[in-house]
Amino acid sequence: MNNRIKELRARHDLSQLELARLVGVRRETIVFLEKGKYNPSLRLAHDIAKYFGQPIEEVFLFDDEAGKKPSGEAAGQ
Amino acid sequence: MKRTIVGFVVSALVLASLALWALKGRISGNTQEILMAGIVLVLVGFAVFLGVSRVRSRLRREPAEDELSRNVMTRASSFSYYISIYLWLFIMYISDKTSLKAHSLVGAGILGMAVVFLLCWLGVKAFGMKNE
Repeated sequence: MNNRIKELRARHDLSQLELARLVGVRRETIVFLEKGKYNPSLRLAHDIAKYFGQPIEEVFLFDDEAGKKPSGEAAGQ
Repeated sequence: MKRTIVGFVVSALVLASLALWALKGRISGNTQEILMAGIVLVLVGFAVFLGVSRVRSRLRREPAEDELSRNVMTRASSFSYYISIYLWLFIMYISDKTSLKAHSLVGAGILGMAVVFLLCWLGVKAFGMKNE
């Protein structure tokens, strides 16, 4: 899963600390999110998307192919 | 804030015990005792680091704990529990092959568990947790 937090934060002229305070987490969590090292809870994803005025799926982008196994492999072929 | 204070108090008590141990001449200077004292100091340093980062978060008007820090702790705890089982198995295996007394082995096991937790915590922090 990728996200556009860094881009949206720059567009809103927000620092990581300001965004962290606005959504009620630590700055480190924003750093982890931007680096793609952490996938947030639905609640946090919702809060971030709501702050930026965007739907969740516009902020957090699911790479449909990345998380899926080929259907043959999943079925044990 | 209560947990931070408790953490600092426990760290201070451990340091005081270590100092008392050294002052009473119980640390004779052999490698095993120096290694144990060193490990205790590293673990106290880790506890102080966690406490200081919580205080700094409070000063920056952030929550001292959030979903990431809780998840990192939970993940590190589960990994370290799993690895500790093998650590104790190893200690049981070497217990009759070494001249160490039972209380030394138990002490080494407890310190080992703390070190394993520290390493797991560092690992989870370094690699992140994507839950995918």
